Amino acid sequence: MGIDSLKRALWIYHVNTGSCNGCDIEIVASLTPRYDIERFGIKLVGSPRHADVLLVTGPVTRQMEPRLRRVYAQTPDPKVVIVVGNCGADGDVFHESYNLVGPIDQIIPVDVYVHGCPPRPEAIIDGVVKAWLKLEGATTKETT
Amino acid sequence: MTILKVLLRQLLLRPATNCFPAKHAPKSVSAFLARASKDTHAVTPPVPVPPGFRGKIAYEKDKCIGCQLCVKICPARAIEFLPEEKKIRIFVARCCFCSQCNDVCPVGCLSMTDEFLLSSYDKYSEDLIVTG
Repeated sequence: MGIDSLKRALWIYHVNTGSCNGCDIEIVASLTPRYDIERFGIKLVGSPRHADVLLVTGPVTRQMEPRLRRVYAQTPDPKVVIVVGNCGADGDVFHESYNLVGPIDQIIPVDVYVHGCPPRPEAIIDGVVKAWLKLEGATTKETT
Repeated sequence: MTILKVLLRQLLLRPATNCFPAKHAPKSVSAFLARASKDTHAVTPPVPVPPGFRGKIAYEKDKCIGCQLCVKICPARAIEFLPEEKKIRIFVARCCFCSQCNDVCPVGCLSMTDEFLLSSYDKYSEDLIVTG
């Protein structure tokens, strides 16, 4: 149990912090039979209290900032934060909007970034592999 | 009767799932990656990208004339101009893969590659800043 069970089957809670829904559709696409990330034991759960991984999309809007902090605090340790899409990484085309409080790494600590606008489902799987590597303690910068 | 035909056909079909990068989660991911770096058959390739796919930008520094049209047109302002050498650099973490810089470039020094497996621990790492 403990860290081993976390490494084997990641349960994911998906937070949309003001994304355009492109990345959200790709996350759902990676759950479809064509890509089927459930074969790795990964599944979407309905509550952050059940989750090992927070999958965050979107630049953080002013309204979502306290909610994102609360969802992060509700996720039990040890946890991993994966940012899907360039909006969450750097703001992308929304970077100069008056209503944003900056990219996700200014609100909560981020472990893995998945780049793309939106990223393909395989790129999300690649990000999950990087998260697994990080959990195994092998944070070398080799490409997958 | 139609449904019987469909059922019989389904029995003979292979699963639609593309098993990238492996069929099941490996016992140790680092051992799997070490195996994959030696033997390319260990990793199932991803679904092929469609023609005209817009992946990570490629930049030919020698062709660039430093006109800054790409810097002006980029909707995400992902391209930075370097005034000393009159060249550009592109931050992939900010790029929105719209390919407008490729269309506006008068000498065609920018192009979109098929590379899309872009994930990182650090969004400003070296392979995510295209300097040509």
